[in-house]
Amino acid sequence: MADKQVMIMALDESDHSFYALDWILTQFFSPPSDSAFKLIIIHAKTSPVSAIGLGGPGLGSTDVLHLVEADLTKTAEKVISRAKDLCTSRSVTDVQYEVIKGDARNVMCEAVEKFHASVLTLGSHGYGAFKRAVLGSVSDYCCHHARCSVMIVKKPKQIN
Amino acid sequence: MDTTTAETSSTGAEGAAHQPLTTAATAEEKSKTKVLVAMDESDGSFYALKWALDHFFWYPIQPDQEPGMIILVHVQPIFQPFIYPAGPVVYATPSMLDSVKQAQAQNAASIFSRALQMCKEKKIKAETLILEGDPKDRICQAAEQLHADLLVIGSRGLGTIKRAFLGSASNYCAHHVQCPILIVKPPPPSKESHLE
Repeated sequence: MADKQVMIMALDESDHSFYALDWILTQFFSPPSDSAFKLIIIHAKTSPVSAIGLGGPGLGSTDVLHLVEADLTKTAEKVISRAKDLCTSRSVTDVQYEVIKGDARNVMCEAVEKFHASVLTLGSHGYGAFKRAVLGSVSDYCCHHARCSVMIVKKPKQIN
Repeated sequence: MDTTTAETSSTGAEGAAHQPLTTAATAEEKSKTKVLVAMDESDGSFYALKWALDHFFWYPIQPDQEPGMIILVHVQPIFQPFIYPAGPVVYATPSMLDSVKQAQAQNAASIFSRALQMCKEKKIKAETLILEGDPKDRICQAAEQLHADLLVIGSRGLGTIKRAFLGSASNYCAHHVQCPILIVKPPPPSKESHLE
């Protein structure tokens, strides 16, 4: 059997990401044993410093950093376990789960290089132009900078 | 509403019937994946088509399962019937219009014949669709109207500045289309050996 292409699925804790994961499991991994792809699920864990921003007065204490770090770790664990549940409920067992520290944009693009992925799949928050400019868009960044094909799965605004 | 000239033609061998676009969830609904592939004459879009064919339809099709369907969309930019040289406005003569239309039709035909050949080799049912107008808008509209499950579009890999000036259909579509979109990038030169 030819070796499988690698598909990276980028997850955060939002529903949009899990909708995307659900979609690709339906499209590419059923029947689960016969898929063309190897799935790697990656959650990017942002560093506490960037999560808070360079704090103003009173935020520089290490206590806050610890709390944020603990919260981020818990979130990461929740994301991975939810992803695992979803995959096993679809009988997809050949999945690799990774939590990588760093900003989501860079993490995803580097992961593409590291795993020699042929597709990077992302959910999309569906921000409008303004929000996208202010909050930034990981899917936008990845579209431009990832070296592989990029698939953006959007959660439909109304369920048809 | 702006005028849309749509011609649909099906492959001769397959004779694809137009399935009613119902959204009722049936048992086979899952396997009838409708993939829309945006085509122009660039190599990027043929590479995108090839990628889609290789990766979505590789498994042998079960006899009871409906194979997925590919719809090839080509959008022709509308030819302005008048020309603006530096001087006074010159209207194109009807014969010029005709020859441009002919050239466009020929262009579309050659794109589709090559694309359909690729689909036939993989034994995939394919339909073609020719639209007129601004490619970005038309592709998004087509994806919505046809209830596509996935839109596949090639990318020229333009840098940020070029993208701002020349525009990028794939960028626009990524933001505005309602369905999942796959942007296929041209292979980096060093990875040529990875193909096939």
